[in-house]
Amino acid sequence: MRYDRRKDISPKYLLLAFSIICVVFLIISYFAGDQLKLVKDITGNIVSPVQQGINKLGIWTDSKVENFKEIQALNEENAALKEEIAMYKTEITNYQNKLSELDELRELYALDESFPEFEKTGARVFAKDSSSFFSVFYIDKGTDDGIKEGMNVLCGEGVAGLVIECHDDYSKVRGIIDDNSSISAKVMPANALCTVEGNLSFYQEGYIIVKNIDKDAKVSLGDKVVTSPISDRYHQGIIIGYVAEISYDTNNLTMTAKLTPAADFTNISEVLIILDEKENLLEEN
Amino acid sequence: MRRVITLGILIVINFSLQTTIFGFHDISSISPNLLLILTMSFGLMRGRKEGMLVGFFSGFLVDLFFLDILGPYMFLYMIIGYTNGFFHKNFMIEDVMLPLIIILIDDFVFNMAVYIVGFALYNKLDFSAYFYGIILPEMLATVLLTIIVYKIYVNINRWLKAKALRKEIV
Repeated sequence: MRYDRRKDISPKYLLLAFSIICVVFLIISYFAGDQLKLVKDITGNIVSPVQQGINKLGIWTDSKVENFKEIQALNEENAALKEEIAMYKTEITNYQNKLSELDELRELYALDESFPEFEKTGARVFAKDSSSFFSVFYIDKGTDDGIKEGMNVLCGEGVAGLVIECHDDYSKVRGIIDDNSSISAKVMPANALCTVEGNLSFYQEGYIIVKNIDKDAKVSLGDKVVTSPISDRYHQGIIIGYVAEISYDTNNLTMTAKLTPAADFTNISEVLIILDEKENLLEEN
Repeated sequence: MRRVITLGILIVINFSLQTTIFGFHDISSISPNLLLILTMSFGLMRGRKEGMLVGFFSGFLVDLFFLDILGPYMFLYMIIGYTNGFFHKNFMIEDVMLPLIIILIDDFVFNMAVYIVGFALYNKLDFSAYFYGIILPEMLATVLLTIIVYKIYVNINRWLKAKALRKEIV
């Protein structure tokens, strides 16, 4: 834009003029800051509504931007949480596997504890020794029915004896009260190993003898004595009897206990024979 | 008169925008110097006189609102507007590079002046920190915004010119 020399003021002079105005303003405002308040008020009244309006706009857009940012943050968080969930899911399946395994093991344990599930067959005692207390008896089942030497014979809850001889139709069983019988066993809550030995002379009093119990084992009256896993003939965990009397041995290392057998030998007519042999079981496992 | 009112509104809007939206999130954040763009644009499009006046009133608002004393920003904007007016004879509406180069230099000079007066004289001599932290980002922001805003000002100026021409003819 060209300026007309005659009409307009030269920009140079205008600049000079405005520079002087600047300096004047500077001096005035420096020395009389209070007077400036009026000017500030007036301009503020004009400008601040616009500023406020724009500020509202700014807040609005800012909130939108914040929302957007929040959405982004939430998305990120969501992704992270999803990852975590996936991790936990795998962990849960892991635990479930372990739980099922635990259940299985517990079942096995319970089975083990109460009574091992064996295949059994019933048999009738048809012959016994002539005396009222016998240690050897005959059953009416033999090799034809699958009976083999070394099978366990139960009477009621407890162990009665061991098949020692097998014939086609009958078998010979030696009872645990026999003098030759010796079973590796353990006293149950204390888990103390011991040996159950038959002794007919004792059995006349109604007891069998439990020897070699560790003197430190906490054995009390009424404790269960069961066949131990160490035994090579008897399945583990079958009840033999209950502790009736405890006495310390003279060697001061072991205890001896009297045992009331679980099987009632005075009136024995029906017995159960466990068809699984321990050796077979061991082989199978 | 129309021109004066339009420019007044533009100055107020630009000042408000510069002080509110562009600096909204954070007080220390960088805001493009919209008033400088306005001053530069009208200095370039209309010559020394108008650039000087736009700069003067822009600086007046800035001084009034942010400084205790009147004058420094006024003078700074005014000088920049005046010197930009010298490029009026090179001005073409289609030209985009010239305003960008000018605004780049303008913003650098503006910020350097502020730095020297406001910081260097107070013995805050860590120039590189101020340059990379404040001056350079602001320069870039201002230049980028000039690309958009300058076109708007060109159109406003064209509209004002057409109105004035019609008035003259009538």
